[in-house]
Amino acid sequence: MFEVRSRRSKVLLQLLATALVLPYLFPLIAMVQGSFAGAGWGNYQAVIAVPGFFQFFLNSAIIAAGVIVLVYVVTMLAAYGFAKLHIRFREVYFWMLLACLTLPEVVLLTPLFTTTQAIGLYNTYWAVILPLAALQVPFAVLLTRNFINGLPEEMFEAARVDGASSLRGFLYLVIPLTRPIAAAVLIFTLIGAWNDYLMPLVFLQSQDMQTITLVPQFFVGEFSNDQTKILASAVLTAIPEIVAYLCLQGLFERGLSAGAIK
Amino acid sequence: MTVAHPVTGAVGSSSRPRRRLQAPGLPWILPALVLGGGLIYYCIGYTGFLSTLNWDGASPDPQSVGLRNYTNLANDRLFWSALLHTALFFVVTFVLQTTIGVIFAVIMHSRIKLAVVYKVIIFVPVVLAPAIMAPVFRQIFAADGQFNWVLDHLGLGFLAQPWIGQESTALPVIMSITIWQWTGLTFVLYYAAMSQIDQSLIEAARIDGAGNIRTLVSIIWPELRGTTIALGILSAIGALKTFDIPWLVTVGGPNNSTQFLGTYIYQMTIQLAHVGYGAALSIVLLVIALVMAILLQVAARERAPRD
Repeated sequence: MFEVRSRRSKVLLQLLATALVLPYLFPLIAMVQGSFAGAGWGNYQAVIAVPGFFQFFLNSAIIAAGVIVLVYVVTMLAAYGFAKLHIRFREVYFWMLLACLTLPEVVLLTPLFTTTQAIGLYNTYWAVILPLAALQVPFAVLLTRNFINGLPEEMFEAARVDGASSLRGFLYLVIPLTRPIAAAVLIFTLIGAWNDYLMPLVFLQSQDMQTITLVPQFFVGEFSNDQTKILASAVLTAIPEIVAYLCLQGLFERGLSAGAIK
Repeated sequence: MTVAHPVTGAVGSSSRPRRRLQAPGLPWILPALVLGGGLIYYCIGYTGFLSTLNWDGASPDPQSVGLRNYTNLANDRLFWSALLHTALFFVVTFVLQTTIGVIFAVIMHSRIKLAVVYKVIIFVPVVLAPAIMAPVFRQIFAADGQFNWVLDHLGLGFLAQPWIGQESTALPVIMSITIWQWTGLTFVLYYAAMSQIDQSLIEAARIDGAGNIRTLVSIIWPELRGTTIALGILSAIGALKTFDIPWLVTVGGPNNSTQFLGTYIYQMTIQLAHVGYGAALSIVLLVIALVMAILLQVAARERAPRD
């Protein structure tokens, strides 16, 4: 966009970019550097040696997987229904779903708390999976519906004429054709579920159920506020996310920005 | 973190000619309605009911107080200051993120060395959990933290202060963490939007003698309107949902200077066990978020003559 011809302005632009990016790098450096202060690698050894440390990762993975499967299935069915099938008052239902997008998580706390306790779901994975999935579904449906609307109607028409039921249309047309948007849905659902803090904080009481977002808090207790080990645990929990992003850069960027681009 | 938001609001409601041939779709959308709508509307209804009670969350016979929670709320100084923090927070983070994001996107479109490295650095914070980064930022902005250390080594040691420990700087710290976290997303969106701009527009401006800054302000920026509005709605809703960072970095303090509606509701409901009052706050928060989303959508549509 900018035209830089002279050597001097090229250098200037590079310097400007570096100056802008340094504050973004700084916390990451501070995190790594702080985690090595004092005992060096010993901090990491101490963190890994804590019994059940990997359980946090496992729990996060189980919850994220549960949310993704639930969101994917429910979203695909609904998006197909909204886009290609006959529904009376379709837009009313759709806007009812969309209104949920503005919902702050904290509003759900008390009702979910009392309800999960009443039906025995409190302190189970479901107490986190269900609300997280519910919060992701409206947006996923919006995106996927728009995508399916863009698929040519003739294709579905042809399938119908050939006698395919709506189920076959779904299995053989919708599922394969929606892969690009499904990838986006998968990524933002993954990030949303993996990074969520409030739901696990309130609904998972026993430590062997808790997720990685509760790790720093756990280590504050475990190491009586020894910052270096807390930072080491932060580095360890951040690594999978950074590796996942580096491996699937394009997918992550598209998935997370899908919200604002049509 | 819910980044996602329906900024496009596009509801393709094309009425199709041969509707009768289409199979009934209600069973297909039912799971989504039950899970997405059902669970959420159930919770909203339940919260609405709780908001008329004076209840500590445990006692078997909560006392009904009608709308008294809401009238108390109108006189609650903390509620209004939380609202003010949210508004301030939205304006500052949105303006700064947009500015940095646009500048960064323009630079990355200008053939620069190591572009991929810059992009990764600015986008990595987006994927990291705020809850995991919170202790890092507590450490950085502590009185003996790395931020003061850097100031010291830049010869700005006189600026060093306990950033999260005092009222005047705690909110700016929360804002800067949020900006750190979300600029990557802003950047990626503007970057994508800029590649859609018709290059001949920019060339024409250059032939007419416009410099780099002039081109950015008069040609590129207006072309990004759609993205800016989308991000505006996103940040506004995000500001109302803010919880993780102020809760984990400053616990709403010192002296409530970083109290947001989310943290206030959490404190009221979970810590102080004023469940009824917390529910009333939740309902108010929900109404504000809904009204805001609707207003912004309408405003965006009215101001869009060309789209």
